[in-house]
Amino acid sequence: MPQQQGHRHSIFCIVPPDVLHDIARSGAEEERQAALETLAADSTFRTLRAIRQAAPVATASPATVSLAAMVGTGEAKQLQRTIFDCHNSRSLPGDPLRTEGAPATGDPAVDEAYDGLGATYDFYWETLRRNSIDDQGMPLNGHVHFGNRYNNAFWDGQRMVFGDGDGVLFNRFTIAIDIMGHELTHGVTEKEAQLIYQGQSGALNESVSDVYGSLVKQYHKGKQAAEDADWLIGEGIWADPDRGKALRSMKEPGTAFEGDRQPGHMDDYLNTIDDNGGVHINSGIPNRAFYLAATGIGGYAGEKAGPIWYAALRDPRLKPDASFVQFARLTVINAEILFPSGDERQIVQDAWSEVGVVIQI
Amino acid sequence: MRVQFKMNGGFVYLPARSEPTTIDTDDLPAEEAKELERLMEAAGFFELPKTSSPPRGAADYLRYTISATTPEHSHTVHFTDPIEDPHLQALVEYLEAQTN
Repeated sequence: MPQQQGHRHSIFCIVPPDVLHDIARSGAEEERQAALETLAADSTFRTLRAIRQAAPVATASPATVSLAAMVGTGEAKQLQRTIFDCHNSRSLPGDPLRTEGAPATGDPAVDEAYDGLGATYDFYWETLRRNSIDDQGMPLNGHVHFGNRYNNAFWDGQRMVFGDGDGVLFNRFTIAIDIMGHELTHGVTEKEAQLIYQGQSGALNESVSDVYGSLVKQYHKGKQAAEDADWLIGEGIWADPDRGKALRSMKEPGTAFEGDRQPGHMDDYLNTIDDNGGVHINSGIPNRAFYLAATGIGGYAGEKAGPIWYAALRDPRLKPDASFVQFARLTVINAEILFPSGDERQIVQDAWSEVGVVIQI
Repeated sequence: MRVQFKMNGGFVYLPARSEPTTIDTDDLPAEEAKELERLMEAAGFFELPKTSSPPRGAADYLRYTISATTPEHSHTVHFTDPIEDPHLQALVEYLEAQTN
């Protein structure tokens, strides 16, 4: 359950953020304090979105955007992890084995889940000023040793569940830090956009999880530059390394393992009824678009490409049944809003074009 | 009794994992056939709803399809992880083991 939040001045909840900024700057002391508290309880990007809603996109000035971006949340970190041991049963939740602040247990699955969820929380907090899954400090529950030789990890709508793998096909699913980032991001996507888990919107849902899973890994490696990152999802998970290097490659979709059918271009989009309409297959297309945008912009992708995709995910114009083109269009629009004086917008648009998603704006 | 089992979905799409497995109890040693029939009965298979949806917002879950035919009954069910009923969990674990 989300932790209880501090009281917010209800009247300010309906006041546009730009008015709040004015009050915070020049109102009477009591008003200033109340406005600051309300702004502090909001996140940078939520404020940014509200500003965009209050003012037409074309008139959102750089000054307005930078003002919003400078507003700190003022919230304290609310990292609260619990790792449960399912004892190789498929029954949830299992028994809590490691809670927040407790020392390492020596059980790799428990400790990897604990560390991976911590790194993911820190990435979202530091890079996107997001306070956990719901942006309100939602506790992070990871459940390991799920099932007997269970070859999967999933998000059940509330919690992250990891199997041990059967040791023949797969190793344990906590072995790669991006898998924790991937699963937690499904929670973020559900809170923000409710992308329907079918067809193109489902592939976008999957891709967003791969994008932030990969960025968690790059963040964890010391804010690695995009050009230096491996862009692999699930590295080390194959029990037999000869089977493949990972489960997906965002850089070169279709090359992660023998039999990898991920396309990297719309020409190869796979129409199928399996896998919820190919959500883990066609996600290769938006994955590669992100890789191209991130490397085109250069540097640590958490600084620009990550925030652009995040702004698109939180854009109120993003519909639950969004197509690739509709999502792509929002990334281009938000690139322009976030970085109006740079060439980020063109780089993002070119990245989508290169994977066959052509946007007319 | 003829039982067909199919898994689909999960964190990664593996075409080979999506291939259905068919088991005919007539082809099994008597003890194994009895075990499968016991698991089917314990799960109340022929009374299970045809479709169970995943929880709202869930992702990367495995999707299961089990079909069973006897001289008296024929029934197909579709469901996903997480499986709440321990009897159905046991049936799925048994069938999964047959696919390996």
